Amino acid sequence: MYRRLALLAIAGTVVVTTVTIGAQGRQGGRGVALPRRLGGEITAPKIPDAPAPRLPNGKPDMTGAWTGSIAWGNIIPALKPGETVELLPEAKKKMAARLVKEDPAVKCILPTPPRGAGFPWRIVMTPTHAFILYEFWGHYRQVFLDGRGHPPQAEINPTWMGHSIGSWQGDTLVIDTIGFNDLGWLDGRGHPVSEKLHVIERYTRTKLGTMRMEATVDDPGTYAKPFTLQGEAELIPGGELMEYSCSENNQDAPFLEGPADTRGQGNN
Amino acid sequence: MRTKTGFIYVLVVAVLCMGGASLLAHHSWTAQYDPTKPLEVKGMVSKFEWTNPHARFYVDARSTGGDVTTWNFELASPNILLRNGWTRNTLKVGDQVSVTGFIARSNPKMAIAGEVVDGTGKKLFASSTN
Repeated sequence: MYRRLALLAIAGTVVVTTVTIGAQGRQGGRGVALPRRLGGEITAPKIPDAPAPRLPNGKPDMTGAWTGSIAWGNIIPALKPGETVELLPEAKKKMAARLVKEDPAVKCILPTPPRGAGFPWRIVMTPTHAFILYEFWGHYRQVFLDGRGHPPQAEINPTWMGHSIGSWQGDTLVIDTIGFNDLGWLDGRGHPVSEKLHVIERYTRTKLGTMRMEATVDDPGTYAKPFTLQGEAELIPGGELMEYSCSENNQDAPFLEGPADTRGQGNN
Repeated sequence: MRTKTGFIYVLVVAVLCMGGASLLAHHSWTAQYDPTKPLEVKGMVSKFEWTNPHARFYVDARSTGGDVTTWNFELASPNILLRNGWTRNTLKVGDQVSVTGFIARSNPKMAIAGEVVDGTGKKLFASSTN
């Protein structure tokens, strides 16, 4: 009896894991908070198959609560087909030395874009700004849409999430970000960055319920050439963000063991 | 008995892996917990922490010799638990529970909950790896 149940459990695991990993391969990291995915008691409304709504200026309205990210645990499955990540020698050493417990996420420190948000996130559009509000860490990004450029290099204050400006290319919102510090991790495996990091994200609401995302990572201080990651987010109809005060009772960090590149997020 | 233990191990791995594939928690669960050290605990909830980044509950389990061990079990975060039918009152001090999970690598009294069954026999969503 137990043997039969055990075999069923294995079969179920293989099926579920294969399906999920397949989705990650196509779309990068997926969100975790879609209630219906987890077999919970709350069922999200069905998403109508409809075109993306439009702003008064004719551009797609990105507003809404979304789940899904480009990559969280591991950027490699999110790579655009045919692309590779080539670390410079010093960066390779830096990554190899990183431990799971050193991951900024473990310490509830802001993720460096395009490292995604595990929980739902919301875009709020105004004529001058796009705000991306994240349930994860309760953090936000402000994207200037008023035509300004980045500050001069001498005035840059390096930060975890950088300075973002946005513009439209057709129906795609392009977010250009520089001004990063060199402490961020692109994923749970510890892919590093330098202050030369330049990220170009492209958000395209292909229909009411779907957001296609791309992020080109150009960091000549870390990688031999730029690479592009891809992902997809799904609208949560009527979805609301919840509070997540990460450092409230964080007992985990002292007990995390092992190197990030073999035991960090994305490895299990 | 050996077969039963094997089944429990496989079942718990299955439950955790289903969440682990999506894996967007704030830390890697296999870095903290040892997949080769499954456990099954029955006992009384002695403390419940409805906190981030993980809710936690503590179970006093009595051995056949009468010794009491307090286990510190990790759950998902309250936002994920709420979306899966929990409230902050789902577990209360004094509740009897049966829990399967895995023991922490470097804290022998800490574990991640894979499956929680309350005193009425109801299975509760638990996976912290989600």
